[in-house]
Amino acid sequence: MRRTLAAAALLLAALAPGLAAQRTQWTDAVYVPGRWQAGRLLRVASRNGATDSLALVMRVDYFSNPPRWRAEVRRSADGRTFGAPEIIIGNGAAAQVVTQLGATPFEQHALARDTLVRAAVGALDASGRRRGAASGRIAEKLASGVVGRVVFRRAQRAPTFSDELLNPGGSAGGRALLASGIHQVGDQRSASVVATAGARGVDNVQTPRGNVPVHPDTMAVVRMERFSVGSLRLEEFLRAGHLGAYGSREGGPQP
Amino acid sequence: MTARRVVSLAGAAVLLMVTCAPAHGQIPDRLRRIAQGAGNIARSLLPISTPKEIEIGRGIASTIAGRYPVATDTDLTAYVNLVGLTVAAEWPRPDIAYHFAVLETPDVNAFAAPGGYIFITRGALDLMDSESELAAVLAHEVGHVNRRHVIEQIRKSDVMRSVQSETGLSGGTLDRVVGTGSNALFMGLSRGDEAEADSIGLELAYSAGYDPQGLPAFVGKLASHAGEGPLADLMASHPDVAARLAALNRIVERQGYRGGEVLAERFRSHVPKAGGRE
Repeated sequence: MRRTLAAAALLLAALAPGLAAQRTQWTDAVYVPGRWQAGRLLRVASRNGATDSLALVMRVDYFSNPPRWRAEVRRSADGRTFGAPEIIIGNGAAAQVVTQLGATPFEQHALARDTLVRAAVGALDASGRRRGAASGRIAEKLASGVVGRVVFRRAQRAPTFSDELLNPGGSAGGRALLASGIHQVGDQRSASVVATAGARGVDNVQTPRGNVPVHPDTMAVVRMERFSVGSLRLEEFLRAGHLGAYGSREGGPQP
Repeated sequence: MTARRVVSLAGAAVLLMVTCAPAHGQIPDRLRRIAQGAGNIARSLLPISTPKEIEIGRGIASTIAGRYPVATDTDLTAYVNLVGLTVAAEWPRPDIAYHFAVLETPDVNAFAAPGGYIFITRGALDLMDSESELAAVLAHEVGHVNRRHVIEQIRKSDVMRSVQSETGLSGGTLDRVVGTGSNALFMGLSRGDEAEADSIGLELAYSAGYDPQGLPAFVGKLASHAGEGPLADLMASHPDVAARLAALNRIVERQGYRGGEVLAERFRSHVPKAGGRE
């Protein structure tokens, strides 16, 4: 009995790192050949997979613990910001679109008619694992030889998501999100700004040069909170600087 | 164990101390220490929620913006936000939004108010030569925000002695808390906090794709300009630049950080040299 338990413990110890390593998290920035002009996407037909004439149309965050996975799809309709996320949760090849009201099989949902969303779901194989490279630029061509989409992929160095996110019926299913990426960071602003500590008069603050009288400027903080650079502009900024998903490093701090 | 329960225990200990005092000369001191310890634990356990952290952060940010005017140059503000968000996205706190602004002062400094309000001075920008330096300094400030350094300092401060619950953090008490946090920022955080923010700053900037020499390069300039007027406050609040630089270089070496983007031209296109500005 003891020997059996020891063997089981050894087996578990040997398997545990492998099991832990299966969890993956990555982000795809999805481009199509073309450009945004005044809020409209002007697509061009290109057979050159290395083309730089690209328009960012979608961002997808993936969380996978095979066979279960989750994709948060954010599409842009105007070339300036990403829309609200569509959440697709899968168990192997079976996928469903999850909303606050419930879950609908992916194939029966309108999203399934969007070729870019279908391609995003196709980034996972039937066992819920990532297809293709872990990071880098991936150009995908259609049967005609025309470039369909160009993906800039970036893996997260140390996935930290909760498995609860992969459960469509769980408390973290539906619209609950991991604010894990830059998509929200770029669009963020505080909608309801209340300058709570603004009724103060003159404050005396201690500085290395002694006490200094200060008139708190609450409106300056309100302006800070209202300022937004926009997620797509941030994405272009990263791309131009070869940073984030457009560089060569994995994302996130060291585990 | 909740903070309220610890406070009750501390109260019981104090009561016991008072009751026992006449009979046992040595015990009251020990009990007093126990009671004080329990009180300290109670204070340290009193949590400050994210909404309250943001409220405090707004107050401190408005104090900073009152000390130095905030730049209204939208191109510069957008650029600093883009760089800041680039590094913040490497380790974002999902419960806050990050806001970056430039302060119009020749003083060389940067400030991180709780809740994600981050400032860098025009003097600091004038001392920089590349985006990798700016990214590293902003990442350092993101480190202060994410590790809640100012909030932790506030929690340990005397002003929290009278606060039994978060609802007590309002009105005049909130103003005193904001004042305590503002003073902490202007006078400088602890060396431990600064070292931790340096380590986080290096890592976030490197992870984002920047040259890891950004922070050492900037800190090296602080060392070479030490004693100059615009650096007076910074040098007083961030002492021992040489040791800091040595620690940074050790981290870079130990982690094997190499390569990455410097982006000097892009930086210069958004931040003209001081003499070239109108």
